Amino acid sequence: MLSKIKSIALNGLNGSCIEIQTDISNGIPEFEIVGLPDTSLKEAKKRIKAAINNSKIEFPNKKILINLAPANIRKEGSCFDLAIAIGILIAMGKIPKINIEKLETTIFIGELSLDGKINRTNGILPICIKAKEIGIKTVILPRENAREASIISELDIKPATNIEEVIKYLNQEKEIPKFINNQYIFNEKYNMDFSEVKGQENVKRALEIVAAGGHNCIMIGAPGSGKTMLAKRLVTILPQLTINEAMEITKIYSISGELNEDGLIKNRPFRMPHHAIPISTMIGGGKNPKPGEISLAHLGVLFLDELTEFNRNTLEALREPIENKEIFINRLSGNYRFPCNFMFVSSMNPCPCGYYGDEERECKCSPQEIKRYLNKISGPLLDRIDIHIEVKRLKVENINNKTNIETSKQIRERVNRARKIQQERYQKYGINSNSELTTRIIEKFCKLDKKSNDLLQTAFKKMKLTVRAYEKILKVSRTIADLELKENIEFKHIAEAIQYRNLDKYIK
Amino acid sequence: MSKNIIEYTSDLYPKRLKLIQNPPVKLYVEGNVENLKQIGIAVIGSRTNTQYGEKMCKRFVKELVEYNIIIISGLANGIDSIAHKTCLKNSGKTVAVLPSGLENIYPEKNKELAKEIIKNGGTIISEYESNTKADSKKFLERNRIIAGIGIGTLVVEGGYRSGTSVTAKYTLENKKAVFCIPSSLENPKGIITNELIKKGAKLVTTTKDILENYKEITFCKRKTESKDILFDIPLELRKIYININDTPQDVNEISRKTGTTIEETIYKLTILQLNDKILELPGQRFIRNKQ
Repeated sequence: MLSKIKSIALNGLNGSCIEIQTDISNGIPEFEIVGLPDTSLKEAKKRIKAAINNSKIEFPNKKILINLAPANIRKEGSCFDLAIAIGILIAMGKIPKINIEKLETTIFIGELSLDGKINRTNGILPICIKAKEIGIKTVILPRENAREASIISELDIKPATNIEEVIKYLNQEKEIPKFINNQYIFNEKYNMDFSEVKGQENVKRALEIVAAGGHNCIMIGAPGSGKTMLAKRLVTILPQLTINEAMEITKIYSISGELNEDGLIKNRPFRMPHHAIPISTMIGGGKNPKPGEISLAHLGVLFLDELTEFNRNTLEALREPIENKEIFINRLSGNYRFPCNFMFVSSMNPCPCGYYGDEERECKCSPQEIKRYLNKISGPLLDRIDIHIEVKRLKVENINNKTNIETSKQIRERVNRARKIQQERYQKYGINSNSELTTRIIEKFCKLDKKSNDLLQTAFKKMKLTVRAYEKILKVSRTIADLELKENIEFKHIAEAIQYRNLDKYIK
Repeated sequence: MSKNIIEYTSDLYPKRLKLIQNPPVKLYVEGNVENLKQIGIAVIGSRTNTQYGEKMCKRFVKELVEYNIIIISGLANGIDSIAHKTCLKNSGKTVAVLPSGLENIYPEKNKELAKEIIKNGGTIISEYESNTKADSKKFLERNRIIAGIGIGTLVVEGGYRSGTSVTAKYTLENKKAVFCIPSSLENPKGIITNELIKKGAKLVTTTKDILENYKEITFCKRKTESKDILFDIPLELRKIYININDTPQDVNEISRKTGTTIEETIYKLTILQLNDKILELPGQRFIRNKQ
């Protein structure tokens, strides 16, 4: 007898509908799966056989052939176990009262364990999104994945613990109630705040500009000056995630298997990979490509602490993703596309010993050593960083200074306002923030009056800034003007923006 | 300025140089010849200096120049270059003694600096034919001339067994004074200065210590025009400017002291900086610029 069941195979972030066809015929006992399965799928045979036997149903001693159609798409992972097992049971005629019409709009996801229990799998959210698109109404899935799937409220989510429960449901003996997440409230919660950082007003100001314009930035400072602490709090002043953005992020985390119990990701991601990270983990890769750190930081912050310690190749690999905001990974098994629209934030010491320019500790490095150290960061990468911030160590006497420290909420209000202005202004140009401005649009929106222009010229001559600083200063001053709700860039905006080019002054 | 050759017998040949043990037979000179006869002090130190060395070198050279003293050094990397540059910056005259021919400036990186020196009334000299290349032997030979021209030698910093120690030795052989800037015992480039002090060189903490040594010479300080410092500073910037002094302060401190918001402080500092009223030190700290 023949049975057909629908399921969804994932290729990167995108799913495609596949049909699981089961044929049981008389002949020499055999169990085979065809249709480009990978090893974990081939092993499904053993799991399914044991799971069915242990669910008090005798596995048929017949010739069983499973075809995963269309046969030209590669299928991987253990999420088809449940679907194949149900296909066999239907073909065996063990579920006599099954509603064939309803089966057309139902998919099964889940890995089987030998005792018939259904285990959780990765990538549930992208599967459910695809399911909704192709008109599926019911999804039967592992209980542990129910919360994540319930984000797609249009689907009838039916969580099951073991295979017997599914059989009873299909045979219309026992109904499985739709899973509704009552506690599901979309509000973010960060367990940190900018008001916890004492002093460092100039860094906070710079980070406010960074957040408002979506600029990439680098913090330069002695060990223990609080670079990491400040960077971690950057996400708390970025605009709140929209539900669509949250889904996009959750999709990426879902296929990487990094989702926690909560289901939907509500906070902007903050990723801080160690500097020994290999390229494939940074940009994504592997035999069956998984998203890398840059994709996991999508719509959030990628923070590289001690930038100069990173492998040069790893850093250079970041250049295209920063520009394109997505990464293509080509493998034998196909081409994968992962989004990676992140803010690039990094930190480094000003010199090898870390104390160049510090008031209390003497720097032991020679100018030559400092130059060599700073040159570890390539020009092209530096080209992509708009703002350089100098972070000083806080003096002990200022630790208890409690003069009105702003909270993240207050700063965020200003950031939101500036972002809104930018979105309205750039609607026609397909960009969202000042950081994405191209040379042509800069000419249009960053006009300077004579006084500001003269100031910029003098600054270039006096401070020996490099040419690459020119556009950066314009972009940053545009953001400063937006923060003040000014239509035109003014003299003082340019003057402030000039101070955020510290590295250009070092590297000559 | 043309290139000259000064023979040992010439009147132009610096008198102090004649007195050393093996004076060069002739000198190839480019730039102002007069400088060789003026009162000059050799400033020497390591090619790989520390931050401390740079700071001290700048401080002492600047003050020496104020007394119209010629700065003599070797155009090498590190302390030598810093000494030459600081001297030029404070519009002083400087003499560079090359370990190579005049056409073959060593190190090549400092060719521009050599041009600057000549342009600003300084002098470049060498005892070698114009296209001679530098080698390790010539470095040491050159050092005897550096020590020979000046009335004394100021040692900024140097490592153990370095060219610096050789120059100091020559200076003592010529019965001239060696001045040493003290250094931390942990500073690997402070070994020579501390060692020399131990052996009897004069420890100097201010330029006055150097001048005191020459009772027979009267040094006159250059005249500086005194004017109201606030005169050409726009009203809105004065509040910030008054609060900036000789102790380096960062943006946050200045903002706190003046009670201005951080963004306002940042932009006003830029303008003061571009008008040369204040200077930015490493680590984004600011001090007053004393022109």
